[in-house]
Formats: sequence, structure tokens, C-alpha cells
Amino acid sequence: MAVSASDIRSALSLPGPSNPGPTSQPPVKKPAGTSTKKPEGISRELFALIGPSAPSLAAQLAKPRLKQKPNLGTTTNTKWEWRPFKNEARSDSLQLCHWVKQSSDIDDGYSFAKYNVDTIIYTYTLDEYTELLQDDNWTKEETDYLFALVKEYETRWYVVHDRYEYPGGSARSLEDIKDRYYSICRKLVRKRPWSGDETTKSQLLVTFEFDKDKETMRKKYLESLDERTQEEIAEEEALFIELKRLEQNERRFKKDRDDLLRTLLGISSGLPDVIPDEDNLSSLSIDTKKKKKGLAEVETPTSPNVISLGPPIPKRAQPVKSAAHDSQHCITRVELSASSANKSHTAAHLRSYKLPAPKAAIAPKVNQTLIELNITYARLVMPTRENSLQLESLIETTTSLLETKRLVDKLDQDIKVAKQRMGIRQSGEADEASMDVDDTHGEDAEGGRSQSVVSTKSGRGRNKAGVHAVYPVHSMTFHH
Amino acid sequence: MPAELATSRRSLNGKCRGHPRAALSANCLESSGEMAERGQRVRGLLIHRPIVYGNTAIVLTPIERESLSTPDHTHRWTVAVRSAASPPGADMVGGGDDLTYFIKRVTFKLHDTYTNPTRHIDKPPFEVSETGWGEFDIQIRIQFIPEAVEKPVVFYHHLKLHPWTPHVLGAPSAPLPPPPLEEAARMGPVHSWQYDEIVFHEPYQAFLDILTDHPPTPLPKARNRVVPFHVVPEPGLNAGGAGTGGVPEFTTTMEKEEYDRLENAKKQILAEQEHWKKLLLEKEKEFQKLQKQIDA
Repeated sequence: MAVSASDIRSALSLPGPSNPGPTSQPPVKKPAGTSTKKPEGISRELFALIGPSAPSLAAQLAKPRLKQKPNLGTTTNTKWEWRPFKNEARSDSLQLCHWVKQSSDIDDGYSFAKYNVDTIIYTYTLDEYTELLQDDNWTKEETDYLFALVKEYETRWYVVHDRYEYPGGSARSLEDIKDRYYSICRKLVRKRPWSGDETTKSQLLVTFEFDKDKETMRKKYLESLDERTQEEIAEEEALFIELKRLEQNERRFKKDRDDLLRTLLGISSGLPDVIPDEDNLSSLSIDTKKKKKGLAEVETPTSPNVISLGPPIPKRAQPVKSAAHDSQHCITRVELSASSANKSHTAAHLRSYKLPAPKAAIAPKVNQTLIELNITYARLVMPTRENSLQLESLIETTTSLLETKRLVDKLDQDIKVAKQRMGIRQSGEADEASMDVDDTHGEDAEGGRSQSVVSTKSGRGRNKAGVHAVYPVHSMTFHH
Repeated sequence: MPAELATSRRSLNGKCRGHPRAALSANCLESSGEMAERGQRVRGLLIHRPIVYGNTAIVLTPIERESLSTPDHTHRWTVAVRSAASPPGADMVGGGDDLTYFIKRVTFKLHDTYTNPTRHIDKPPFEVSETGWGEFDIQIRIQFIPEAVEKPVVFYHHLKLHPWTPHVLGAPSAPLPPPPLEEAARMGPVHSWQYDEIVFHEPYQAFLDILTDHPPTPLPKARNRVVPFHVVPEPGLNAGGAGTGGVPEFTTTMEKEEYDRLENAKKQILAEQEHWKKLLLEKEKEFQKLQKQIDA
């Protein structure tokens, strides 16, 4: 490194510097700009001898060899500030403070708030429960309790399991709890109308997958792994190594034997035990050959010629055709199922003649709902496959909406009835002492009273409620 | 072609002999001759061809009417079945492709008052031009080529002579009465067309080959012509003089728009559903509470 600029100049037979001095870098650098770099591994002296056109070494030598020090301390110190902030993730209005850079925006919000992700906890209606979610091991109350816990602890299962203490219920393992919860979620997702496409639905279903037996087994296995003694571990390892060795031997023997057979009989002899890899390869190559042949003869690879040549099922040739090809030719492929194989052939038809339609019983209601949204389900402008699928899902959704509305109406009735019963009982208890024992008389009185209690009811509901409610309540008052 | 068929027959017979499966061999026995000519049904495959059908009508001038043998006829109309895409630059609805590769004959059944009301059309264009004074339903029957081995498809088109009148919202069954003839004549030709798709389920290989040899011209993306009038009461669709003044055309944009329309409706329904579901849950809770109070 201790080479002065004049040394270099003399070695390169360059003219002297115009302004002599120890720091004469600008003029030296000038030729360096136009010349190439010195290749690695050539000594300085040798390189200098190669010719005057060779690059000057000065540029290289002048270069700092060390990485530049990061410029840390020179910048002005950042100002930090103790500032109150609002955490959007909190539901309460707790005010906390933290240190932030003075330069940062005040309205930035709390950057960690976004990590507070709310888990969606499914809820179910009474109807859904009775229809889908009944389980002999679980009562509705315990299921409700489980869902409340899961909601409170946001599916932190170990916590849920730890806090799980249902009065009068049997002991539940963590797997029991998870199995119950996830199976309910799965059923709900499957049953309910789905707004997105099928892939997101199946993705969601996958997240709710839970195999209780497998999970229990897995844990048992892990436990047993953990409980092994030192000797057992050693023995296992020894066995494993032994197994590997045996496998290796086996492979070698097999290869030797095949080689021997091949040299003795030739490849055409039909080795009784060819290496599986090769087998696959050869059959594959024949396959492609067949396909090519098919292509040359009748353009499409699924032509009867190809099919007849061997066992490969036509399905195998399908992926060959691209989606672009299919869309160009208006081809749709559907999954083959066992049932569809036996089904009789569906005749050619106009797409609009097979548009989805709601069940006849609720068709008028669906129609009315959709007309409010400017849709007539009976006709489409462009009855393409996508639109007809879309229409189908629309009709399904509408049907389920109507069903929900019906349930709400029914429940309204039930509530009315219950309220009426309450009212009757309260008033009944009040003047039980003065109550007449005569049945008909009592009934009349109660009917009158119930009507006064339930004031905001529709006429029809009241009538129904009256009939339903009075009898049982009446008898109940007398039991008291 | 004969040579090809021969080879396919040979290979198929070979397959029948060689295959041990009973179901398959039974199939072969049943119609081995037919099967050999068509190949076999391609399982799990659906193929469709987009078509349009409908009519164009124009008011006759007084001079034209006089030259007719039936002077009470007021309109000249043409009913047709065509491929969905329009030929570039041509002044007609659809008809970009020749459909004879899979359609053998189209039969239009006119009103009985016409002479020879059943008109068979065996070569393109598949259309019937007539004069008349009244609107009626025309039965259209599409017969496919023998290779398809499909029964004919039958559907109806309501012959439209009078200009489209906007639907009165709230009373979809009672559109405004059509304008008088003179005004209708000024409004130009009346178009009434419906897009549809003929779907073939699991076609025979031979027929599939024929179809794939003739890919349909795709519909244009953007609309550069008039939107076809349609009976669907969609404000956006029939507004802006749809169906009047000019030759309409079906586009993929229209398909997309309809898809979005359905999607929007679905979203609204789902939002509503959420609302009701919540209500249902609340009511259920309330009901349970009441029940408990009663039981207590």
C-alpha cells in the first residue's frame, strides 16, 4: 500500500503531474476512467508491463479497500415524544401513552391495532340446532355454554379447556370440546347459503377440519414417545440403522441381479422383475407415442384409436387439453360420479329451458322478493352457464331468506303466546283467592285479562295465542 | 373419412373382445355397429353452441301493400335461427357462423292461416320471410345432424311486429299500447331476439370432433351496436332506447352486466338474511328467557 503516486507514474511511464503534489488524484484518475480494471491475480509489475493502454493502477489503489463506515452518529438526534394514543382495538376508552418520533403523524393511529383480529364465532338458531346439531352426548345448554366460552377466549383451546366447568356435565377432554365445536361449524358452513365461490367455502371448511380419533392418537403417540427410557431410545436407533442397512443391501442385490439377467438374456427377454421406475418410463413413452399417433390420424387425442390401444382411461388424456381450448370450443367438463355413470343420457336442450327454479310452493314469494330487486328468475338476457349458476345461487339464498323470515314470524307468535301466559299467570296469582272454581267462567275471565296484557298484537296472532295459551295456563293456575 | 371409420370400428371391436368388464361388453353387443361409427360418448363433457333466434319486422309502405295479394298485411317480417356472433360489418343480428355443421334442418311452424304453415329449411340461412298483420307464437324446431344422435330441440318465439314500449314499473303485465302504424314506420325495423345456448351432454366422439372442428366466433366484448330489447324489466337494460333504431348485437359485456346484476341482488339478499338471522337469534333468546320464567 505504501506506493506513492510518482512511483506508479514512473512504472507506467506516464508524464509527470501538471501540478506536483502528494494529492494529485484528479489527473491520475482521468485515464482510469477510460481504461479497464486490472484482472485479479496479475501482479502489479506484470500488469504495468503489458502496455501503456493498460489501465492505471492508481484508480484501484486509491480506492478504499475497506467497507465504508456506516454514517450513524453524524445525523441530528431524532426527537422522541411521549404522546397519548388511541388504540382502535380496544373497546373501552382507556388512554395510554407511548414514545413516538416527533416527526411521525399524530393521526397515524396505533400501528399494532390491526393485529387484534376478531375471530368469527358461529352462532346457531334454535331451529338449526334441532335440525342439524343434535348430539346424544351434548345438551343444547352445554353447547351454548361451550360456544360462550369459545367466544370469550377466542378459540384459545387450552384456556377454554382449562376453564371448562359445566355444572352437572360429564368431564370433557380437549378433543371432545374441539370436536364438538368444529363439527358444528362445519355443519353450519355447509348448510348456510354461501356468498362467495365454492373454493373459498371449501377452504373455510378445511380450516374447520378436526379428526378427533386422529388427534387423540397423535397425542397418545407423542406421550409414549416422551415416556421412552434411555435404553429404549438406544434400541430404536440401533434398529433404525439396521433397517437402513438392510434396505440398502436389498437394493444393491436387486440391481446386481437385473444387470446379470440383462447381460445374459438381453432386454427383450422380458425381465420378470424390472425396476419399477423403468417400467413406468417405458410405458409412459409408449403412451405419448400412441397419443402422437392419434393426433396425426384424427387430430384429437381422445379419439377411439387411442382408447382402444390400451388400458389408459380417457380421463387421463383430459388434462392435455387446455382451458383455452375448452373455452374456445364452449366445452365444460364435469366431475364424473358413480351415480352419473348409470344415469340415462340428458338430451340436447336450450340452456334457458333448464334454468334453475325455486320450489313451486314458495315460487310466488321468491318471485316477489326478486322483482323488488328487478330480477325475474324465469328469464335471463344471456342464459350462459355462469349466469345460470349465479341465478341458482341467488334463488337458493332467497329461499333461505324466506325460511328465516318464516321462522322469525313463528317465533314472534311463540313469544306472544309466552307473554300472554306470563300475563295470565301473574294476574291469575294475584286474584287466585277470589278465583271461581267454575271452569268456563274462569276461562272467559282469563281471556279478557290476557288481551289487556298483550296490547300490541295483531288480531290473528291474538286469536291463535288465546286458543293456545289459555288452556294449559288455566290448568296450571289450579295446580298451584 | 371411410378409412377412418373403418379403423375406429376395428379398434373398437378389438376392445370389446379384449375387455373383461361385463357392462362394457354388453354395451358393445347392444349396438356395436352404431357405436363403431360414432365412437363412444365422452363422459363428463358438455359442449354448447351459442345461437340467437328471433325476428325482424318492418312496416310496409302503401305501395308495397297494394302489390301484395293480401292487402291487409301491414308488415314484412323475417324469423330466423342464427349463430350468436354477428358477421363483422354486416347489417344483421347474429349469423356470423354457418350452423350447418351441426344443424340439419330448422322447421318454423307459422300460424295456421298461412299457406303451408310448416316451413322446413334445410340449408342456410335458416329463416322464413313473410308478410302479415298480427303477432303470434312461432314454433321453432331444430333438427341436428345424424352424427349428433340427439332428438330435435323445440322452442317458441313470439313474433314481434310492433315497436317495443317501455314496461310500466309495478305493472309488468301491461306495457303501454303500441304507437300507430305511421309512427311505427318512422321508428324503423323492429328487432326481437333472444340469445341462447344449445347444450349437448356427453356427445359421441365423432360428433364432438365435428363440433370442435368449428369453434364458434366469440361474442364481441364491447358493445358497438344497440343493446337488444328484452322483456326482463331491468331499468339499465331497456333504457336509452334499447331495441330501437339500429341492429342490436349480443356482447360479453351484457353477460357480465347480467352476472353483476344477479350478484348485486344476491348481496342484498344476503345482507337482508344477516339482518333476519340476527333478529331470529334475539327472538330465540327472548323466547327462552320467557320460557324459563314461565317454567320457574
